[in-house]
Amino acid sequence: MNGRLARVWTLFAIVAVQFVGLEAGLRWWGGSEASPAFQQLFMQDPAVGHRLRPGASARYTTPEFSAFISIAPEGVRADGPIGPKPAGETRIVILGDSLVLSVQVDMADWFGTHLERALNAEAPPGRTVRVINAGVQGYGPVDEWLFYKHVVEPLEPDLVLVMVFVGNDAVEAHDKADWIEADGPPQSSATEQAATAMRRIVRASMVLQNVRLRWDMLKASLEGPGTERPLTSYLANPPQDVTEGLAVTRRAVGLIADRAAARGAGAALVLMPARFQTDDADYGRLRDIVAAAGGTLVRDAATERFAQTLSPMGLPILDLLPSLRAEPDRSELFFQRNVHLTTRGHRVVGGALAPFVESLLESSGARRD
Amino acid sequence: MVFTSLHFVAFFIVVYAVYRVVPHRAQNWLLVVASYYFYAAWDWRFLSLLIGSTLVDFAVAKAIEREEAHHRRRRLLWVSLAFNFGMLGFFKYFNFFADSLRELFAVVGWRLDPVTLHVILPIGISFYTFMTVSYVVDVYRRETPASQSLLDFAVFVAYFPHLVAGPILRASLLLPQISQPRRIHLAQIGEGLWLIGWGVFQKMFVADNLARLVDAVYGGGGGHTGGDVLVATWAFAFQIYGDFAGYSNMARGMSKLMGIELNVNFRYPYFVTSPQEFWRHWHISLSTWLRDYLYIPLGGNRGTSFATKRNLFLTMVLGGLWHGAAWTFVLWGMYQGLVLAVARTIQEFGIPVRRTWQRVVLVVIMFHVTCYGWLIFRAQSAGQIVDFTRRLATDLTFTSTTLYSLLQPLALIVAPLLLVHAYQARHDDDGAVVRLPIVTRYAVYGAVFWLVLIFGNFEGAEFIYFQF
Repeated sequence: MNGRLARVWTLFAIVAVQFVGLEAGLRWWGGSEASPAFQQLFMQDPAVGHRLRPGASARYTTPEFSAFISIAPEGVRADGPIGPKPAGETRIVILGDSLVLSVQVDMADWFGTHLERALNAEAPPGRTVRVINAGVQGYGPVDEWLFYKHVVEPLEPDLVLVMVFVGNDAVEAHDKADWIEADGPPQSSATEQAATAMRRIVRASMVLQNVRLRWDMLKASLEGPGTERPLTSYLANPPQDVTEGLAVTRRAVGLIADRAAARGAGAALVLMPARFQTDDADYGRLRDIVAAAGGTLVRDAATERFAQTLSPMGLPILDLLPSLRAEPDRSELFFQRNVHLTTRGHRVVGGALAPFVESLLESSGARRD
Repeated sequence: MVFTSLHFVAFFIVVYAVYRVVPHRAQNWLLVVASYYFYAAWDWRFLSLLIGSTLVDFAVAKAIEREEAHHRRRRLLWVSLAFNFGMLGFFKYFNFFADSLRELFAVVGWRLDPVTLHVILPIGISFYTFMTVSYVVDVYRRETPASQSLLDFAVFVAYFPHLVAGPILRASLLLPQISQPRRIHLAQIGEGLWLIGWGVFQKMFVADNLARLVDAVYGGGGGHTGGDVLVATWAFAFQIYGDFAGYSNMARGMSKLMGIELNVNFRYPYFVTSPQEFWRHWHISLSTWLRDYLYIPLGGNRGTSFATKRNLFLTMVLGGLWHGAAWTFVLWGMYQGLVLAVARTIQEFGIPVRRTWQRVVLVVIMFHVTCYGWLIFRAQSAGQIVDFTRRLATDLTFTSTTLYSLLQPLALIVAPLLLVHAYQARHDDDGAVVRLPIVTRYAVYGAVFWLVLIFGNFEGAEFIYFQF
C-alpha cells in the first residue's frame, strides 16, 4: 500500500512540475489572449466592470497576425496620450466591443484611422478630425453606456458612433439589463464572489485557462447539439433573451445619445455584421450546425432585427453589410481563426464609414469654420 | 461513435464495468450486443450485412470442415468468396465502376446512363470482409478448425475495438481468446491504459493538428510553392500515421483491458530502409493478409524474377484499390508495386549497408519515397498529382509561410512522437515505454496528458481509415 501511495505521489509531483514548466513555456511563447501580456491590458473597475488599463501596452502575436497595442492614460486604445481637445479639432469616438478595439491590427491599420485620414483629406484649412478608438473586448451595449459615462465623455467628443455588433449584442445586453438600474455592476452574492475569485485564479494561469476551455467544450458536448448563444439572434424563431436584449440595447443606446446631446454632441449607429454574413463557406458550416440542433439560421436576421428596433430612435444608422458583401474575395475580410476584421476588412469598413460620417459632420455644422 | 468521442467513452465505461463482473459466456454475449450497438450507432441499416456475413461464413466454414471431397470443399469456398467479395464489390466499388464506365463511353460519344444507386459505403466493410475471408480460407486449408460456436464466431467478426478500422485479425489469434475464459492481469491493464493514452495522443495531438496544415495546401486554392507541397506532404505522412496507428493502439489498449491481445499493426514505419521493410512495419495486418491470401497464391517469389515482380505489382494494385474506390488509390497501389519491384532489382545487386550513416541516408531516402506515395494517396485528383509533382520539380522554394506556418508547427507536433519512436526503435520494442524506470515513465505519461489536454484538437475529426 505504501508503495502504491509513493507511486501516486511521484506521479502527482511529476505532473505538478510539468504544470509549472508548461505554464512558463506558454507565458514565454504568448500568442494567446490568455497570456499575461495580453491580460494585463485590462483591469477591474467598480463603475464599469472591466476596462482597459491606462498606460498598459503589449505586442500581441499569433500565427495569423502581430499587432502593437497601447492604452492611453485616458483609458482608450491610442498610440500616445490623447490630451485636451485643441481648437479646430472635431472629435469622433467609436464605442463598441472587440471589433472596434481590434487587437489584431496596429492602430495605423484600424478602420477608424482610415476614416480619420479620409475626413482630414477633405477638411477645411485649420480644422482637423480625430477618431478615437473607444472599443473594449467583451463589451455589450450596457457596458458601452457605462464606459461612455465614466471614461469617454471627458474626451469631449463631437460625434459618438456606437458600433453595434449584431452577432452578440442582443444577448449581452440582455445579460446586463440590471446594470442600467444599478448604474454599474450590481453587488454580488457570496457565491458570485467565490466564483469571481475562482475565475481570477484561472485567469492568472495560462494552463488553467486552457483547461477551462476544455471543460467548456466537454460541457457543450454533454449538453448535446445546440445553437451557440450568439447565433440565437439569427434564428427564425429567436428566444426571449434576444427580443428582450434588443429592447435593452435600444435603452442603452438611447442613454448614450441623450447624454451626448446634452453636451452638444451628435450620435449615430453603425451595424457590424458577423463573419458568416459575408463568408459563404462559414455560413454553410453554421447553417448545418444550427440545422442539426433543430433550428433555422436566417443569414441576415440579426441585422434586420437591430435595424427595426433602433430605427424608431431617429438616429442615423449605417449598415456595413452591403459594403462588405459587395467586396470580391469576401472570405478575406475576416480572419479565419477568429472572427475579427483583417487589415483589408478594416480598409473596407473605413471606406464605408467615410461618406456616412462626412455627411453627419456636414449636417451638424462641425465642418464649418 | 469514434473512440475519442464522449459517446464512446460512456459506452466503453458501461460495457467494461459489466464485462468485469459477469462470467465468460455472458462476457461473449455482452461483446456481441455491445459490438452490434457500436456498429448500429454508425448506421443500423448495415447491421444486416454484418450479421449476414457472420451467418454465411460460420455455416460455410463448418460445411467445408465436414466435407471430405476436394471439389465440394472448393465449391463451398467459392460460395463464401463470391458472397464476401460480391458484397464488398457492390457496396464499395459499384459507383466507382459505374461512373468510370460512363466516363469511358462519353469519350467516344456514347451517352450511358447506368442506374447509379449511390450506394453508401458501409463503414468497416473492408476490414470485416477480409477477416471472414481469411477465416474461411484458413479452414479450407485446414490451418484453423471451424468455430463450433456461433456466439464465439459472432464476437470474432464484430468485436467492436477492431470492427471499423482493424487490425484485420486472424481466426487463429482471436478465436481461441474468445472461446477460452480470459484472465486480466494488472500489467495488462497498465499496458492497456498506456496504449489508449498513446493512441489518443497520436490521434488528437498529432493527426488532428496536422490535418489543418495538410488541408491548407491539399484542400484546394493555388499559389503554393513546391516547398509548401513538400512540407504538407511530410505533415500528411505523420497525419495518416497518427490517425491510423492511434486507432490501432486504442483498439489494442481497450482489448488488453478486456484480456484480449490484438496484433501490433504499426511499428515506427518511418525508421525503415527499404520498401519491403516498410510493409513489415506499416498496417502489418493488411500487408500480411495481402501476402498470405493474394501474393503467395499468385505465385509469390517461386517463379522467375519477372514473375515475382509482376506478383508484387498486382498485389499492391489490388491493395491500393482496397483503400478506396478512386483512381488515386489505384495509382498509389501501382506506385507501391513499382517501388517494391525496383527495390527488389536493386537488392539483386547485393549492395551492403553496414555503417550508421548509410542507414540514416537510406531512412531519409525511404521516407521521401513513401511521401511521394502519400502525395498520390492524398491528392484530390490526378490533375493535382501532376500539378504538385511539377511544383516539387520546378519550384522548391521555402517562403516565410512555408517555414513559419507549416514547417515550424510540423516540427513541434512531430518531435514528441519521433522521440518516443526513436526510443522504441532503438530497443526494437513496441512496449518499451511501459518498461522505463518509474520516474521517466511517469514523466512520459504526464507529458502525453498535458500535450493532449492543452494542445490536442478536440473538434472530433473522424479517423481517415474509417472510409476504407
